[in-house]
Amino acid sequence: MASVAAWLPFARAAAIGWVPLAKHPLPPPPFRIPTDGTSSSTGGDRRCDEKIIINVSGRRFECWRSTLEKYPDSLLGSNEKEFFYDEDTREYFFDRDPDVFRIILNFYRTGKLHYPKHECIAAYDEELAFFGILPDIIGDCCYEDYRDRKRENNERLIDDRLHEDDDKAQPKPQSVRETMWRAFENPQVSTMASVFYYVTGFFIAVSVCANVLDTVSCGTDPDTGYSRTCGERFSRQFFCLDTACVMIFTVEYFLRLYAAPDRLKFIRSVMSVIDVVAIMPYYIGLFMHQKGEVSGAFVTLRVFRVFRIFKFSRHSQGLRVLGYTLKSCASELGFLLFSLTMAIIIFATVMYYAEKSVVHTKFTSIPAAFWYTIVTMTTLGYGDIVPKTWAGKIVGGVCSLSGVLVIALPVPVIVSNFSRIYHQSQRADKMKAQRKARLSRIRLARNATSNAFIAAKRRHEQYRDDPNSPVDKNLVNPFELQHHHLLRCLELTTDREFVEMGPDALMSSGGTSIVPGGHTSTGIGRLGSPARHFMLNRRKWRCCGFGRKKKNLYKHDTDRANNKNPNINDDEIDEELGDFQRPISSTPRDSLSKNHPVSTTNVIQHQSPPLLLQHNVVLHSNMYESPKSIGNRSEVDVPISQDDNNQLKHQRNNLMTVYEHSSANDFLADDSQILKPPKDVVDIIEEGTNDDKQTV
Amino acid sequence: MPKTSNTDYDDDGLETLKRYKPRSLDELASRTKFSKKEIQLIYQGFKQECPSGIVNEETFKHIYGQFFPFADTSSYARLVFATFDLRSSGCVTFEDFLICLSTLCRGSIEDRLRWIFTLYDTKKSGKITKDDFHVIVCAVYALLGNVASPCCDLETIREHTTTVFQRFDKSHQGYITMEDFMSFCLNDTNIIQSIDVLRTIV
Repeated sequence: MASVAAWLPFARAAAIGWVPLAKHPLPPPPFRIPTDGTSSSTGGDRRCDEKIIINVSGRRFECWRSTLEKYPDSLLGSNEKEFFYDEDTREYFFDRDPDVFRIILNFYRTGKLHYPKHECIAAYDEELAFFGILPDIIGDCCYEDYRDRKRENNERLIDDRLHEDDDKAQPKPQSVRETMWRAFENPQVSTMASVFYYVTGFFIAVSVCANVLDTVSCGTDPDTGYSRTCGERFSRQFFCLDTACVMIFTVEYFLRLYAAPDRLKFIRSVMSVIDVVAIMPYYIGLFMHQKGEVSGAFVTLRVFRVFRIFKFSRHSQGLRVLGYTLKSCASELGFLLFSLTMAIIIFATVMYYAEKSVVHTKFTSIPAAFWYTIVTMTTLGYGDIVPKTWAGKIVGGVCSLSGVLVIALPVPVIVSNFSRIYHQSQRADKMKAQRKARLSRIRLARNATSNAFIAAKRRHEQYRDDPNSPVDKNLVNPFELQHHHLLRCLELTTDREFVEMGPDALMSSGGTSIVPGGHTSTGIGRLGSPARHFMLNRRKWRCCGFGRKKKNLYKHDTDRANNKNPNINDDEIDEELGDFQRPISSTPRDSLSKNHPVSTTNVIQHQSPPLLLQHNVVLHSNMYESPKSIGNRSEVDVPISQDDNNQLKHQRNNLMTVYEHSSANDFLADDSQILKPPKDVVDIIEEGTNDDKQTV
Repeated sequence: MPKTSNTDYDDDGLETLKRYKPRSLDELASRTKFSKKEIQLIYQGFKQECPSGIVNEETFKHIYGQFFPFADTSSYARLVFATFDLRSSGCVTFEDFLICLSTLCRGSIEDRLRWIFTLYDTKKSGKITKDDFHVIVCAVYALLGNVASPCCDLETIREHTTTVFQRFDKSHQGYITMEDFMSFCLNDTNIIQSIDVLRTIV
């Protein structure tokens, strides 16, 4: 019995206390009251409750039905659980995680939902969603933890997505302006960008050095006999150097301004302000050079040249992190400043009055004493101004002690902030690098399952075509039969064929296309490199009598044994592989043999949302430009209309959901009617190796 | 012998929960008017709500809170708790609980009336005054919460108290003794019937 229901007799019994107070006689009870005490025991024997068994992945849980019915909104409390009822074993079977189910069942029992710390937040959320329980009812004991983890996870997802977007955005067709902007922001994108980066860095260094050396004394002036600085002695050379640097900086600034997607924002940004401040003094100096009387201001302006050193922050991440830390620790810094100011004023005042009596004292005024206080509090102790009276010395001692304390307090906060931010940025970079490797390994794993599926499909089709073939009938189950049939229908609809692709074709990038298939036989296959990929391959077909050809690459050598196909020379393989490289790298055919690591990295496909990863569906979308050369190679140039594109995308998404729960389904057909490389293609599988080289 | 572990203090001085195990099922069955099966059921529910085996006032409040969702159950729960707390120790063991429940569910009408009297007699003086009535009436109205209509304010409560008290206090003594109470109630068929209505099957 539910525990609350167990207390109902008590509540009812205690209610007789109201009876004398009642204004009206109480209504008759809803059930027949037994007249004597003993007969009720027989009634009490029969429970209006039953035990139900819930089998969760083999672990059996038993509870009263009424326990579950406490929460009629959830799966277990409502009729929804009847969908999972197994008549034969007379239990409810759920193919879910038994550990998390334990917690969920405890919720029914005790009314408190807990969140175990070791559980992954996403998995837990999923289980809750499955059983129809809102996460909001997590008990207070675990709620904070749950929310924190959830927030962390969301941030990480957003972060990942941002990074993925960054990677994804690269292969989009770009104007000159966009390429330039990208080159400015990520110098590692292309060699030009790196060169530019290093050149500007060099010139900044040169300029700063010139500024410094400008002031070094360099021998005496023959005219006046005084020593003069190098700047005066080699004034022309320094001027030329300065001009060169400023020219470079100006050019760079205007290039950036031109390339910036949002110019106003760029102008307002810190880096651009620094740039402007770095080069303005030169131009102002040029114009003011004629007027000699403002040379004082002119000299002051030269001080601003030192701001060029801040341009280095574009080159150094640590510097940026430092700047960001200081910005984020503004409140701590403010507190530090404020408390120091207070202390300085207090101690300076006291010192002044303490030392007032001394003759020829250096403490001439309170502001004069400020200098002493600052030097003492920061434990510098220059010694240029010292107290002479004993009172002054005592105050001085107290001042230095308190200085240590006041300064030491906010500093660890700033330090820890810096450390956290720095490590975060390091981690972000590291993760970015690792992600690519990780994704390629994931693709590798997925490839195996999809290849297995294709192999099964082939076997099934063989079996169908040749009843005498020694294919084991037991290998195909009805679900697979229907699935294969569906794919076959798709092939016939689109006049294409599913083809396994070699790994070399797609390293980390992918394209998909479908082989236009004229024959329905599974005859022609080809040898290829050992590891195969499956892909819907869009294939150029030969002209002049060769006809349409299906090229199928078989996955394993063992499959080749079953294969009745003639051997195919490697040229065709290269061509086919080349087909894939072509859209990727946009190179003409003859340069196919060259590797294009840079462009392939641009075309990093991936892009499967994390959810898909969970369901083992490899569905990537890849945008790349359709090179003209592809168009040349195909017989039919059918431009895909926007509607078709959307429709295909829609189909792809639908198929995606179908395949979500099947581990063997890792591919998807897309853009089947088009021979021209489509604007966005669906990457089926690619076997990625960790290095991005392609061997063609 | 009931095993009671009194409050244990460990090294930090933290109080560990009192645990109480009731006497055997047979003994309880013999002492009360419930059958073994019924006691089992009651104990299962009891233990679920109070794993330590002991009820305190908070639990009563909480339980009543589950039955009367809009109510402020603290005053009523306190009154009821006082009657259950046979040893005035501040906690009710399962035995006490069962015994009282047995009286309420299965006892004679006189026993029940006596219980009601104890409920009203908060000061345990043997007499119920108008103030006691007021307290119990307030408590019962509090069970209603804010959602009943028409709204009940202090005036209504006072009026109700006065009406009821006057009904009982025929001799206008200003208080009611146990005997008066009992005789009055036994003669009032409405009351008897109403009490019967509240019997429950476990």
